[in-house]
Amino acid sequence: MSLPESMSRIVIVGTKSHMDEAIDALYSVEAIHLIDHTVDADEGFSLGTPRPYSPKASERLLKVRAMEKELGITKHVKAESVPEDEIKSQISSDSVELVEKEVLSVLDKRNDLNQRITELNATKRNLELLSDIPVDLELYSGYRSIFGVVGTVAEDPTAALSGINCEIFSSFNKKKGNVIAVFAKVEDKDAVLGILSENGFSEISVPEETGSAASALAKTDRDLTASTAELESVEKEIESLLEKHKSFLKASEEELSIEVQKGEIPVRIANSEYTFVIDAWVPTSKVESVKTEIESKVAGAYVEVEETRGRSMKEVEEAEDRFKDAPTKFNNGKVVKEFQYPTKLVSVPKYQEIDPSILIAIFLPMFFGLMVGDVGYAIPFIILGAYGLKVTKHKDWRAIATVLFFGGIWAFIFGLFFFGECLGMHFIGAYHADGGHLLEVEYCWSMLLGVDNLPSIFEGILPYGTGVGKLFHVGFLLKLSVYIGVVHLLIGYICALYNKTIQHGFKHGFMEKGGWIFGFIGLVVLCYGLAMFLIYGTEMSEVLPFIIVGAVLIVIEVVMNIKHEGIQAILELPGIVGNILSYTRLAAIGMSKAGMALAFNYIALGMVGGVEAGATLGESFSIMLIIGFLLFAFLHLMIWTLAILSAGLHGLRLQMVELMAKFFEGGGIEYNPLKIKRKQTVSNKKATKEV
Amino acid sequence: MALEGDVGAGLIAIGAGLAVGLTGLGAGMAEKDVGAAAVGAITEDQSLFGKAMIFMVLPETIVIFGLVIAILGIFVM
Repeated sequence: MSLPESMSRIVIVGTKSHMDEAIDALYSVEAIHLIDHTVDADEGFSLGTPRPYSPKASERLLKVRAMEKELGITKHVKAESVPEDEIKSQISSDSVELVEKEVLSVLDKRNDLNQRITELNATKRNLELLSDIPVDLELYSGYRSIFGVVGTVAEDPTAALSGINCEIFSSFNKKKGNVIAVFAKVEDKDAVLGILSENGFSEISVPEETGSAASALAKTDRDLTASTAELESVEKEIESLLEKHKSFLKASEEELSIEVQKGEIPVRIANSEYTFVIDAWVPTSKVESVKTEIESKVAGAYVEVEETRGRSMKEVEEAEDRFKDAPTKFNNGKVVKEFQYPTKLVSVPKYQEIDPSILIAIFLPMFFGLMVGDVGYAIPFIILGAYGLKVTKHKDWRAIATVLFFGGIWAFIFGLFFFGECLGMHFIGAYHADGGHLLEVEYCWSMLLGVDNLPSIFEGILPYGTGVGKLFHVGFLLKLSVYIGVVHLLIGYICALYNKTIQHGFKHGFMEKGGWIFGFIGLVVLCYGLAMFLIYGTEMSEVLPFIIVGAVLIVIEVVMNIKHEGIQAILELPGIVGNILSYTRLAAIGMSKAGMALAFNYIALGMVGGVEAGATLGESFSIMLIIGFLLFAFLHLMIWTLAILSAGLHGLRLQMVELMAKFFEGGGIEYNPLKIKRKQTVSNKKATKEV
Repeated sequence: MALEGDVGAGLIAIGAGLAVGLTGLGAGMAEKDVGAAAVGAITEDQSLFGKAMIFMVLPETIVIFGLVIAILGIFVM
């Protein structure tokens, strides 16, 4: 059984003068799952302060990130990686500050230009309006006894202004707006402005220029063009800066975040005046190597193994609060590893329970394959899955690609040896003879290809001679899926018993979960008997033993469980029947796809073959042929796409809801060792290796 | 086209259709609420996806029951 990897708790003690070496060593062994120190956990110890280099690194990191944002360097921008030593020496020789100066000067230039362009645009708009008024710009102001205002109005105020002694220049233009300039005596100012504001006046500020508005407008236009051109050149400069510095910026961001991370370590561990103490979880298999490596690398350090955690819950109860939960390190091979994703979707397994990934790895592709069960759909699934596994790195896509690949293989196996089917058609056909109804003409590959010896190849391999018909041997498929469900659920119950046994001992485990195994088997036997009697009409005397045995087992279950489960011991029973029947979806989804494929084949192939039977080879024939084949391809693509959704999701559901609910508790902490991940920088170790 | 077959077979077919159709409606009504709540929960916290999916698909069992009855009706009775 696949339990998470065994963990040991170690304590690392050292002197503070060697703290930096110790931190480097912690990261280089890549196996330390740090246990955060809590305040007042040990007398005489307190949380430490960040390393002296940390604040400076944080400050630089902030600068680098700000620059990246301004220059538009996202994580999608690709840049060359830089050797670790090189970037370190660059950072320590103030390169970040130098680059910042360079970048900021250009960015400032851009901001200034942007602002200037905005201003010029505003002036331009005003001048465009003013150019309709035949007054030179300098004439709007500079008087002692009269005043001038100019602006846009919603309605014509000329009539209202007629009572006041004033001169009006106006231009009414629906497109550009109504502009009006009024010159009047200073003592009439309030009256004029009052009338104007009643007519929706909004003043235009007159630019401090001389001459006509039109000539000022031309000048502004020239300025605007010049500024825009300048902005373009600055943008180009920024782009060249991006090219120039992107690899430095990305590399220094990575290096600085590593430094900050390392610098924060003292805050997570116990410090006294001269020493530090680190509590950590380490995989038991690595304890010795971790001990030797740390003790040899860090002068004066001492590593002691405190405990190797077993699976019993008693050990958890006895442990100090912060040592209670050991982290879960998945213990899976290369293939099963890809199936950890669906497990984690539910929860990370506890340290003391079976990791269901291996069960998912076995059953999920199998169920998927059974539901698809068609060679024609399987091959694209395998190709797509293999391609996905090769290309994608993102864990979501990898999980999907894994299911498609292995599910595709199962679908191929089921399609070839069980259903004998490709694209919804059997290899060999005409089995309607033995059942009788439903199909008049059946398309099959041996008929389509005109090959007669196909049957002799497949005969003997395929069940029912021609393979199981998804729409035809429904009863058989239904029974099969129920039996698969029984086996699958029984595995779930056994896992539950195993979990409880390793956690609390066999006796406790048996009392808690053993009852359910009896109950489950009892229910299956009882239902078998009842089904034989009710559906197939078997004699009562024949099925009576089944019913009695089933009932007895159920009574045992109720007796065992009633004490600690209460009424649930009885109420759960119909739920189990529901769980088992839930597996009939294996047959049902296969059926639905077969139904669609059947209909589509009749439509598309009917088009192709039907016209062929008409026998006049001509234009209509070839068009129908092409349409028929296009339709054939499109419709099957549709079924294929639906298969991903229905078969994939329902397969997953059977694992998560039916199987995992029987034993899986989850809520573990995932093992997360201190580790440096480098993408933009090349570590020294690796660089020396390559040389 | 003249009616063929017996009335019993027709009634069984109607019954099977009702079994699938009505349970489908029921499952849909139940999933409507669960799904809306599940999407809301996932928006708040991505890690709830697994649990949300389990709740989301629980009512589906209803339609499976309907399907079983329909298949039993058509192929066994």
